[in-house]
Amino acid sequence: MIYLDNAATTKMFESALQVYKDYACDKFFNPSAGYEVARNVAKDMEGVRAQIKAIISAKNGTIIFTGGATESNNLAILGSLRGGKCEYIFSQGEHPSVYNVAKELERLGQIVHFIPLTKNGEVDYDLLAQHLNDKTRLISIMLVSNETGAINDLNRVNELRKKYSPSALLHVDGVQAFCKFKVDVEKSSIDLFTISAHKFHGPKGVGALYVRDANKLKNIIFGGGQEGNYRSGTENVPGIMAMGKAIDCIDIEKNLHVVEKLNKIFKDTIKSLDKDNQISFVETQNPYIISVALKAVNGETLMRALQDNGVLVGKGSACSTKKSGNRILESMGIDKNIIKSHIRVSFDFLQDQKEIEDAAKIIYQTYRDIWERVK
Amino acid sequence: MRVLLLRFGELYLKGDNRRIFEDILIYNIQNALEGLKHSFSKTFGRYVISDYDDSDEDILVERLTKVFGLHSLSKAEQINASEEEITSEIAKIKCENKSFKVFVKRADKNFPISSMDLAKRMGELILRNNSGSWVDLYHPEVEVHIDIRLNKKAYIFSDTIKCQGGLPLGCSGKGLLLLSGGIDSPVSGYLIAKRGLKIDALHFQSYPYTSIEAKEKVLVLAEKLKSYVGPFKLHVVSFTRVQEAIHAYCAPEYMITIMRRIMMRVAERICIENSLGAIITGESLGQVASQTMQSMTVTGGVVKNIPIFRPCIAMDKEDIIKIANDIDTFQTSILPYEDCCTVFLPKNPVIKPNIEKAEKEEKFLDIEQLVSECLNTREIIEIK
Repeated sequence: MIYLDNAATTKMFESALQVYKDYACDKFFNPSAGYEVARNVAKDMEGVRAQIKAIISAKNGTIIFTGGATESNNLAILGSLRGGKCEYIFSQGEHPSVYNVAKELERLGQIVHFIPLTKNGEVDYDLLAQHLNDKTRLISIMLVSNETGAINDLNRVNELRKKYSPSALLHVDGVQAFCKFKVDVEKSSIDLFTISAHKFHGPKGVGALYVRDANKLKNIIFGGGQEGNYRSGTENVPGIMAMGKAIDCIDIEKNLHVVEKLNKIFKDTIKSLDKDNQISFVETQNPYIISVALKAVNGETLMRALQDNGVLVGKGSACSTKKSGNRILESMGIDKNIIKSHIRVSFDFLQDQKEIEDAAKIIYQTYRDIWERVK
Repeated sequence: MRVLLLRFGELYLKGDNRRIFEDILIYNIQNALEGLKHSFSKTFGRYVISDYDDSDEDILVERLTKVFGLHSLSKAEQINASEEEITSEIAKIKCENKSFKVFVKRADKNFPISSMDLAKRMGELILRNNSGSWVDLYHPEVEVHIDIRLNKKAYIFSDTIKCQGGLPLGCSGKGLLLLSGGIDSPVSGYLIAKRGLKIDALHFQSYPYTSIEAKEKVLVLAEKLKSYVGPFKLHVVSFTRVQEAIHAYCAPEYMITIMRRIMMRVAERICIENSLGAIITGESLGQVASQTMQSMTVTGGVVKNIPIFRPCIAMDKEDIIKIANDIDTFQTSILPYEDCCTVFLPKNPVIKPNIEKAEKEEKFLDIEQLVSECLNTREIIEIK
């Protein structure tokens, strides 16, 4: 089986699992307890906070551990909500864990703007500029699209913010970017940054939110006051420590280089077989994720047939395969009939070139078989 | 003693066959109550469930209300049919300042007091014990029923719970339901079972064009249907090859017509092989292009030896949905997985097909081969 759905989730590192076990079975103490062994666990968690801050180049600010990206995004957005009517800006390409929170804000009577994407999958900066003003409370734009791999230019977003909405907060869903690309929250003045451990070989059910100025955030969960009262509930210590271990094992530059090669091999292999140009790729600067467009074949059909042939690929956001339509590709102006003909292929630096070449061949052949039958 | 008093409706009409019908009904009741402690007894015109645990009463009622052939039931107090015992039972009734009426039914004509007299006497007793209550013969808030049966027992109850009605499952034979995963076909299965027909079911899937979830959805529907129609066999057949062949060789506007003609042929083959006496579909007149009178003539035309029953034929969609909600299949049916009928959907399916044209298009196919291939892919799932 060749797994090409690494944007959906990744396999946990053995070493991270070992750390998980360590903190689940041996150092299992509640970090809020007063005795020394528990205090030590609390200190170990502080180490992971420092690690995350270092990797996103954060000078100040806080890291709040959460139960994953969905929770981080909810906390970032709902926690920024204040009394009165404000304006909130989202890109049309956001993950459901942001998009549906935005919908909830709308329901609560706030003014919400969804900024369309351009055909390369990035947010339309001109339209963004038009919607920013001094009433804008929060701008939430993802760094890397989980669907197309497109990378938004956050420096540009930040410039626009400085110009039109200097008091607005900038939230960035960094799930597909963290530990894959160099992130600098200072350079783009990011206020809130979401990460999720299982996207970089950590455990599921654990994530974090970077917060530049905790005074600007309110908690949305009430309880024992853990995580500076921003996220009550006993911390998932084994998960947090395993996340730290996973971060340790990642070399962003080196991995990027490996994946760039895999991406090229994949595309080259398909192109060499596909003489009639029936398969095309949404072009982005991101080697980790490719959105593949197939002429006249339904992406879900191909996905199922590929599964039978031993290759697992994604159909857009794995969280939303059950829903019809695709808001993100639609926003890029892609024809409705073609949207159904997309699959998402996503790579991991642990994969080898032969495996990717084989997968590309299988994908092409399987596509061709179906195409022959449905053309 | 607290009991459940069961009434069966239409069985009265069945003359000499009545015993056979009753035997089936009793068998079905016993099956429905399997695993719950109880005693079953019959008296003319009524069945009595007794000796059960109080805590099981609601489950017993829930299961009995799904047994076809039962008309209604009441939670009743069973006593000896003597004036003394009836009086002492009626004396316990509290009407809480509401209007009431006493209904007396006397199947045992040897009971010494006439129905009228007994109603009067008991009404008087209730009035005496409940100073704030009054008699209302037309719109009573509280009904007090006294049912004196031939087994020398009397049953005192106030409420009547409606059951399914219909005929005992199995007394009409057994058929094959085409179960698509949509809203209509489970309703059809339910309605036909209510007329006493047992069912097996047939589902066509088009993997990889349809998903595993689409098949799992049908399994969930089958499971829900089971609580009414009892355990059954679900035949799952791959239709992929057939659809690809039609797509490749036939006129697009006849795609669905020919698809359905082949489905009917597969269904008839399964019926004959399993001694099933009818095909049941969820078709409703005019609902979609393939459900016009002409379409049904052409698709049904290939079935030569058994009838096709279409219980939803004259129903509006909203009425079908109401039943789907009642039998708890609606929310599952509307899950958005493509079924095999939506794959290869032509832009303009023919609304009034004719048999000659369909037969002409079918000449491009090896129908016998395709039907056999379908049957070879068959998986039989026991819904039990």
